[in-house]
Amino acid sequence: MLSPERLALPDYEYLAQRHVLTYMEDAVCQLLENREDISQYGIARFFTEYFNSVCQGTHILFREFSFVQATPHNRVSFLRAFWRCFRTVGKNGDLLTMKEYHCLLQLLCPDFPLELTQKAARIVLMDDAMDCLMSFSDFLFAFQIQFYYSEFLDSVAAIYENLLSGKNPNTVIVPTSSSGQHRQRPALGEAGMLEGVEASLFYQCLENLCDRHKYSCPPPALVKEALSNVQRLTFYGFLMALSKHHGINQALGALPDKGDLMHDPAMDEELERLVVRSKLHRTSRPHRAKEPGAFGFQRREKQEALERVSSASVPTPYHYRWEPRE
Amino acid sequence: MDCQAEVNCGLHLVIQTSPLPEKNKVEFKLNKDTSSFPGRLLQHDLERNYSSRQGDHINLVSSSLSSFPILQRSSEEKILYSDRLSLERQKLTVCPIINGEDHLRLLNFQHNFITRIQNISNLQKLISLDLYDNQIEEISGLSTLRCLRVLLLGKNRIKKISNLENLKSLDVLDLHGNQITKIENINHLCELRVLNLARNFLSHVDNLNGLDSLTELNLRHNQITFVRDVDNLPCLQHLFLSFNNISSFDSVSCLADSSSLSDITFDGNPIAQESWYKHTVLQNMMQLRQLDMKRITEEERRMASVLAKKEEEKKRESHKQSLLKEKKRLTINNVARQWDLQQQRVANIATNEDRKDSDSPQDPCQIDGSTLSAFPEETGPLDSGLNNALQGLSVVDTYLVEVDGDTLSLYGSGALESLDRNWSVQTAGMITTVSFTFIEFDEIVQVLPKLKIKFPNSLHLKFKETNLVMLQQFNALAQLRRIDQLTIDPQGNPVVNFTLWKYYVLFRLSHFSMQKINGTEVTQNDMIMAERLFGILAHVASSELPQYRLISILGDARKKQFRYLLESKGKKPGIINEENNDSKRLVGENTNRATLNYTTRDFYNEKLEEIKEKKKFCKTYIEDLVKEATEINMKNEALQKLWPQMFIELVRDAVIEIRNKNSYMKLCLQQITDQK
Repeated sequence: MLSPERLALPDYEYLAQRHVLTYMEDAVCQLLENREDISQYGIARFFTEYFNSVCQGTHILFREFSFVQATPHNRVSFLRAFWRCFRTVGKNGDLLTMKEYHCLLQLLCPDFPLELTQKAARIVLMDDAMDCLMSFSDFLFAFQIQFYYSEFLDSVAAIYENLLSGKNPNTVIVPTSSSGQHRQRPALGEAGMLEGVEASLFYQCLENLCDRHKYSCPPPALVKEALSNVQRLTFYGFLMALSKHHGINQALGALPDKGDLMHDPAMDEELERLVVRSKLHRTSRPHRAKEPGAFGFQRREKQEALERVSSASVPTPYHYRWEPRE
Repeated sequence: MDCQAEVNCGLHLVIQTSPLPEKNKVEFKLNKDTSSFPGRLLQHDLERNYSSRQGDHINLVSSSLSSFPILQRSSEEKILYSDRLSLERQKLTVCPIINGEDHLRLLNFQHNFITRIQNISNLQKLISLDLYDNQIEEISGLSTLRCLRVLLLGKNRIKKISNLENLKSLDVLDLHGNQITKIENINHLCELRVLNLARNFLSHVDNLNGLDSLTELNLRHNQITFVRDVDNLPCLQHLFLSFNNISSFDSVSCLADSSSLSDITFDGNPIAQESWYKHTVLQNMMQLRQLDMKRITEEERRMASVLAKKEEEKKRESHKQSLLKEKKRLTINNVARQWDLQQQRVANIATNEDRKDSDSPQDPCQIDGSTLSAFPEETGPLDSGLNNALQGLSVVDTYLVEVDGDTLSLYGSGALESLDRNWSVQTAGMITTVSFTFIEFDEIVQVLPKLKIKFPNSLHLKFKETNLVMLQQFNALAQLRRIDQLTIDPQGNPVVNFTLWKYYVLFRLSHFSMQKINGTEVTQNDMIMAERLFGILAHVASSELPQYRLISILGDARKKQFRYLLESKGKKPGIINEENNDSKRLVGENTNRATLNYTTRDFYNEKLEEIKEKKKFCKTYIEDLVKEATEINMKNEALQKLWPQMFIELVRDAVIEIRNKNSYMKLCLQQITDQK
């Protein structure tokens, strides 16, 4: 903890890097707001709870957007909270529209801006048909990239536009062999406009960007990896590649790998307990219809799964209950 | 005299010459003031008067000059029956030429096959002409018969009434059993007493003016749907409209104005099947003595007037009702229009804001909540402009409140104020359904506590055109006492397009144990599904929130309730206990989702505004603390750097001091005495 680099930083820089001040300010602000309630059980306890919740990542629940996106840690916590709360929606296999995902986001953060959700949806849908349905995992990973790196992505967009229109901000010397390759491609019969920009050129601009600016950006090595297989790419193609890249996801640390996205044993157990409790509460009402409900909207019917579940009164180990669905 | 007649046109007649026994001569009188009798009876009379034997004396001789047979009678005949001639059932296809009989008064051509009326223009003294049961297609050849009084043309094929201009003395006109479609060309028959148009193709009755003597009009077995002009018949006493197509009294309303009518038949018409038939006819035609061939009694008349009065009452009631309905409809239309205007205006503002945001240069680190373009209702200065525009609309009411048995319907945001009215306990207690239309959901949310108090039995809520766009908004419904049924109309409520909305409602409002959503029953499986989908959210919202957040969120909700209650009841101290009880009951709901609240856009932004001040203060306060801390830290670090040196110097000084023990001891003692 008390590493020499940490101690070597001047005080303000250290505070800024760890966003300590943000949390301190927020803590004091919360204290002021809820003075009467908190005075009941002591200020010391309040601070304990506050910073505990910051560590656990629950401090962003139901907070305003300006706080949620204030620090990278907040963003990670928010992503994680969203995943945990709505993993069940994804597990159920429902495909939702962008608006509906936005609604779910708003359940956790009432003033979350629609713009961000729209941008995330554009990544998934490749800027096409914004009313399309999206799967939970697709949306979540795209949203992660968009939300966590939003400032970075804005600059990348600007760079992309520049490259597209031919303006090259950096005079980069491209090795002649590969440039020869690149110049040959148009001659291969693709008349008219080529899509996207050259990958390597693009990457070099990005590298400069990462060096120049201080806000969070994905690790350049991983970005290079994502770009390694392609010659040319479009903006949304690039973002899509980023969102699907496992390494970047792990570097962020908010969400599990795609394969494990639907698994959360602890929560599943808790959920089972809740469901059983609600069932017991309800079996006392005799007039409720026992047949499978027909709400009349398009959903995949999961009658078999539901019936098997409802017949069991004793919670059995979770791995016999749920078939993981992708 | 035996005569054989060989006629070129194939007519063969056997003629007897044996004299006939004298028959009872029935004087056939045409009396103008005989009492009326139905046309057909007259027909019978005429048929009876003529014996069929008269034809025996007829001699039809063919003429080489024309194709018409020529009639000749023996002079005996001529003297016996000088004024009448019967050619009944003679298989005639044409009218024969009748010579030397110019003083004939009655002529009978019944039951033949005559197609045209011809060769009788010389019989200018003819009074009665009977052409019943022939094949005549057109009335013609009568223009010289100025004395004609009885014209019987029943059972022919006549399509049109015409060529009767000169028959001004006509008394009886029988055209039954023809193909006549229109009453015309009879307006000059001012002496006509009986007109028989039964069994024709008439669809309506009019053009009857000028028939100043008509007492009997037979229109049975036609297709008549309406009757007009009958009030222009000053003498009409008998009107037979049986077996037609009359279905309402309005179509025969002119009958009410006819003071002479005493006998009328409507049987076989649709009108006769109606429940109100008898008394309506009686009530409207007080002059009637006989209806459908039955005399009308005093009792019937009395009943008729009583029933008619009741009808009047009912009509007035229904008229009032329909006026009321119309007013309601207009009001609702007006409210709908205003709503649309408002929505459009709001949408325009949103797009304008979007455009503004995209133009302005964005500082990358500053994407904060100011991009609230999705929530346009916050624009304050817009509202006044909107109001001014709305006042320019029509004067009709801008909202509508309607109580219909067990349903309370509110249209337009102005209607929300009506919840403050003094509702009688009985009315309020009966209301089980409350329906909101053309009102912003955010406005409804503010009024829900009032609803809870004033209408305790409201179990079914309906929302249409209320701008429900977020799942979150359903959280607001949790504060009610109970909801059994919820109906969210897709019109004007985009939230219905979401796949998960029903499950979310069931999840959030699980403590209500709702039975129906949008008409479909809620099943056990639905509830389980809802719990599965959102159970973790509830778990997180309750157990993972720090204690102080829980208290503050729940406290917020309670504070809001108090605020509304206080506003409505006034700040009376005695009521505080009741409010406390209320809040305790609040906790009865499933507490693990109680933190999922809905704050309307306006309140949320208000809160954020309030916090801004505090945030600024916190910022400066922390900055001060940080400054202090860094100063201390700096000083500490400086001290850390200097301390070794300082320590060495201290030690060196001390060692130098003590080097000479004797002089040190003297110095110390000196210091002690100096101190005193």
